[in-house]
Amino acid sequence: MTVADLHSGQTAIIKNIDFSHPSSCRVVEYGFTPGQELQVINKSIFNDPLSVSLRGALIAIRKQDARCIEVFLPNEH
Amino acid sequence: MSIDTERKKLVTLVGPPNSGKTTLFNTLSGKKHKTVNYPGATIEYSISSFLEQFDIDAQLMDSPGIISLIPVSPDEKVTIDNLYNHPEFGKPDVVVVTVDTSQFSRHLLLARQILDSGFRTIVVLTMNDLLKEKSFEIDEMMLSEILGCDVIKCDPRDVKEIEPLVKLIKDNLESKTVQVHKRDKHTEEDILCIYREIEVLEKKVLKDLNTEHHENPLIAQANKELVIAGRGSSIKMPDSLTMKIDSVLLHKVWGIFIFLSIMALMFTSIFWVASPVMDLVDTGIHNFESFVNMGLGDNWYSDLLAKGIIGGLGVVLVFLPQIVILFFVLGLLEDSGYLARGAMIIDKPLSMLGLNGRSFVPMLSGFACAIPAILAARTIQNKRERYLTIFIIPLMSCSARLPVYGLLLSFLFPGKYFLSGLILSLIYITGVIISLIVAGIINRYKRAILNFEDNSSFIMELPVYRIPKLMNVFKDTYSNAVQYLQKAGPTIVIFSLILWTLTNFPNRTVNDTTDMPKGDPSVQRLIEAERINNSYAANIGKVMEPVMKPLGLDWRVGVSLIATFAAREVFVSSLALIFKVTESDDDNMSRSLINEMKNAKINGTGQNLFTTATAAGLIVFFMLALQCISTIAITKKETGGWRIPVMQIIIYTGAAYLFTFLTVNGLRFFGVN
Repeated sequence: MTVADLHSGQTAIIKNIDFSHPSSCRVVEYGFTPGQELQVINKSIFNDPLSVSLRGALIAIRKQDARCIEVFLPNEH
Repeated sequence: MSIDTERKKLVTLVGPPNSGKTTLFNTLSGKKHKTVNYPGATIEYSISSFLEQFDIDAQLMDSPGIISLIPVSPDEKVTIDNLYNHPEFGKPDVVVVTVDTSQFSRHLLLARQILDSGFRTIVVLTMNDLLKEKSFEIDEMMLSEILGCDVIKCDPRDVKEIEPLVKLIKDNLESKTVQVHKRDKHTEEDILCIYREIEVLEKKVLKDLNTEHHENPLIAQANKELVIAGRGSSIKMPDSLTMKIDSVLLHKVWGIFIFLSIMALMFTSIFWVASPVMDLVDTGIHNFESFVNMGLGDNWYSDLLAKGIIGGLGVVLVFLPQIVILFFVLGLLEDSGYLARGAMIIDKPLSMLGLNGRSFVPMLSGFACAIPAILAARTIQNKRERYLTIFIIPLMSCSARLPVYGLLLSFLFPGKYFLSGLILSLIYITGVIISLIVAGIINRYKRAILNFEDNSSFIMELPVYRIPKLMNVFKDTYSNAVQYLQKAGPTIVIFSLILWTLTNFPNRTVNDTTDMPKGDPSVQRLIEAERINNSYAANIGKVMEPVMKPLGLDWRVGVSLIATFAAREVFVSSLALIFKVTESDDDNMSRSLINEMKNAKINGTGQNLFTTATAAGLIVFFMLALQCISTIAITKKETGGWRIPVMQIIIYTGAAYLFTFLTVNGLRFFGVN
């Protein structure tokens, strides 16, 4: 499951970053690191890009880029 | 090393976008500058001396916002290369890094990288009030100890609060220079490591203002860590007001509706709000011109000054109110934090055409001027998307075209402000639609035209909403308006001089040898018509007459069109000059030019030169043609070759000619003359 699969308002925890994805470096720089909690806040028209709350900031990210962020939902380990 | 010792010391400000870096620069340099929300908007770094009262003998440099030392876009590459070794100012003696404490862990990444590179560093903690609202505080002493550099809290907006920072900068400047080593390759793993360290560090330096202090420090620490790391802890949540506003402005349905409304409001306000101010400016210029004419009497220099220079500058000045409104609204949107949202909303539709959400701000700036817009495109990381954005920017109707549209529309619809405004909005929208069509076509054939293997991505911080600081926006609008005048003014004067000479010589003296009564206005008119028909300008223009004829235009418009390559707004002033606007009673400059246009006949045919068809055709021409030398030059520089600008010239100017031809003759075919 990746961030791109989350619904609006859903909270998840980052499990892994897919380093083969070309955007992975940028994603990590923005603070998407394993163990961090994030929440999808809004989705733009056509459901893309998403705005994600992370480390006290709001970050807009395209679904395509969000696919490299693997997450799990906190209550289903 | 002798050069190094002679060189003035350099203090460089570095920080992520929206960390208060530019505000700090403004306060330290004492010269008001701009705070920008949009990542990378400070594309051109600013350099200045320190405010005199601080008594620091060093240069102060502001650099564009970056989130890490790994460059992804060309913008970031330039910034980072310049940080390590600036071609002109060398390497910084002290680096001041701003860190927004409300997003402490994200912003500390850059500070850590700077420290790892060995720079003498001062970390400035900003937005401490926002952190306090979440009932946390940073222990700066402890942070300083862990990082091994000076750390200071300060509100960069406050000159009084900045004194301790100034002292720190002084102290650090006196210390011995340090060895800086550039890390060539940072990997994702490196960043992950730094983030892990930061997460540990964060739990140490954050002070919780809420939970009761336990007597046992170990238990107190454990309690605090629980609060920080706990699910939904306030430290992880963005500003709550911003989230509330976003639930409306970024709403899936309402978001796009509000976005379109804001854009529509922006462009209509350019016309509705400006028109009374424009009338005022108009009257002022007219009075000034009659004043000069009366003061200097009837001679050649009075003629040149009144008709050529003041008249030429005047017709452009009339449109300044509209340009000011455009810059003002853009400034408001930027300062409030909405622009990044706009980019997010429009990203998906634009990406379907091969563009990027980040293309939005450059495209919007294109309505003001193509030059800063093309520079702003540097924030687009993907090369193909960046080139495509640059490619279509000239199709955005820039402010230099406003005077031309203004003139032609008031010719077409005299006195009908509402209709003119409506048509003008239509011109703008059509420009955008054409640009999107062009982008779509090029994207379709991208392998042949823009063949780059690149990763397309869109990741962007959405800044906290803030009430725009009107003072900042006003100052920014003012400096933009001044820049516009400084850019357009000299060009207009030079071209007015050239055109005046070309239209008045070689027959300038005809006037004096004739024995006809000079006072008679109709005789005067005849003499002048004769003079201009045999002038150098006419000779040049007649060469291009075969090109202009199919468009229903003559050499006079042709000469004016050549002049537009310096600046489009010159078109109006050169028409005014060529048609020799002679002041008649209390009519103002612009209106008497329109009267001249109404009476102008194509040589020898008695056919009206400016008709509904030809004026509409000219509007089409100005919408499409690439006729700005500065744009061509900057495009060549930004795309590293002539390929793209030459393609633009051929496609846009060719299309402009073709569609003008179709418009003029199409309208005539349907009986509209």
